Amino acid sequence: MPTFQTVPCVNINDEFVDVVSIDVKQGEFVNGGDVVATVETDKSMIDVVAEQDGYVLRVDCEPGQKIRVGAVMFWLGATPDEAIPEATKDTSSTVSAVRQPTAKARAMLKELDIDPARVPASGERLSVADIETWLSKGGKPGKAAVSTQTAIRREDAPTVAGDLQELSPEAAGMLHTVAWHRDFAASAYLEVEYDPKPWEERAAAYAAEHKLILSPLLPLMAFRLAELGRERPLINSTIVNGQRFQYTPVNIGFTVQAGAMLYLTVVRDTQDMDAAQFISALGEVQRHAMAHKLPPQEASGATLSFSSMARWNVSRHTPILPPQTSLIIAHAAPKNSDKAVLGATYDHRVLTGFDVAQVLLALSRPA
Amino acid sequence: MNLNPDQIKAAIRTKVIELAKALDMDASGVTDDDILPATGLLDSGAILELVVWFEASYDFRIKQEDMNIDNLGSINAMTNFLLSSKPA
Repeated sequence: MPTFQTVPCVNINDEFVDVVSIDVKQGEFVNGGDVVATVETDKSMIDVVAEQDGYVLRVDCEPGQKIRVGAVMFWLGATPDEAIPEATKDTSSTVSAVRQPTAKARAMLKELDIDPARVPASGERLSVADIETWLSKGGKPGKAAVSTQTAIRREDAPTVAGDLQELSPEAAGMLHTVAWHRDFAASAYLEVEYDPKPWEERAAAYAAEHKLILSPLLPLMAFRLAELGRERPLINSTIVNGQRFQYTPVNIGFTVQAGAMLYLTVVRDTQDMDAAQFISALGEVQRHAMAHKLPPQEASGATLSFSSMARWNVSRHTPILPPQTSLIIAHAAPKNSDKAVLGATYDHRVLTGFDVAQVLLALSRPA
Repeated sequence: MNLNPDQIKAAIRTKVIELAKALDMDASGVTDDDILPATGLLDSGAILELVVWFEASYDFRIKQEDMNIDNLGSINAMTNFLLSSKPA
């Protein structure tokens, strides 16, 4: 049966890699361990080696292409004319096929004794729908399958007339975020009220000193969060397969509403910045977001996040955790009120309410 | 591209009024010398939208270090900054 090989993860914070070279052609035989391609990110370059012997049935990417980690790079088969499973023929090289299954998909794989590597993914995660599609195309459960009757379930289409539509990349990204929050994080929320005057005075003084045209209030608060991320590494970590993953950089996610689109922009490596550098870098990514021209490195890799809905005069909001993060701050400052609110959605697998309360209190006033 | 100062000011004023309206504010009385952030008509998000619109409309790039009151604080300042950035 044909097998596919996916784009490897080069750096944990990089969701995309650039394809530098493809060193094989369709029909060529490769040995396991042969270098078949080279990919790179801003930080490093690695050779991709064939995971097994086989004929190259199809190459799904090309040099110069930016491609998501986990996307299918190429297919291998025992013979040069082996048919690639029907379900994958329409997928482009940029469609994700990460083998990491969702929690529900993982349960289904276990129940049916299926090796996840055998099932192509249509999105960023291997989903129940992917498994069902694979089964419907002739994929077989393993010998230890518990049942094929109870696990194979599809979401029923609505009975009202309509049609299915592809999600935009941004909507698919939001779906991924929400799915991670649902499937992995043990999310909780708490908040504190605070007096906004000290921060407002600090921001006004900073703006006057630097002649800024944009209020630095939220950027200064986000920078304070970055400082807290350095001082309290626990908030800048996540859980991966039962172990804590401590991030090295402090990459600040900052939500930007650009028209109808909500972006989580990312300023990377804030641990090396002072306030002025951070405000400048954040201003740059905000402008990219407003112009809907965010490059991938400014839209991924957040390790700690800040979200404000003060602009919309809401009294509170409970944001979704960005994937593989443990804390997102929720700022609200209702007009005509002498109180503002700092809330936090956090992953209780990593942080306790005490940890988060300490962060909120520290963030509620300038350092 | 039309770089007539009066027409540039009129276009900026129209955009300011549009952005303020989205925030439920009336900016029809804004003058060319009003310091926009100080008027309270536009918040930071709206000013950011104004800057991005300004760049796209007149096909030029504002450096991050030039994002200050002197260059972009008022309709007049924006117009002068554009004209100095794109000499005839």
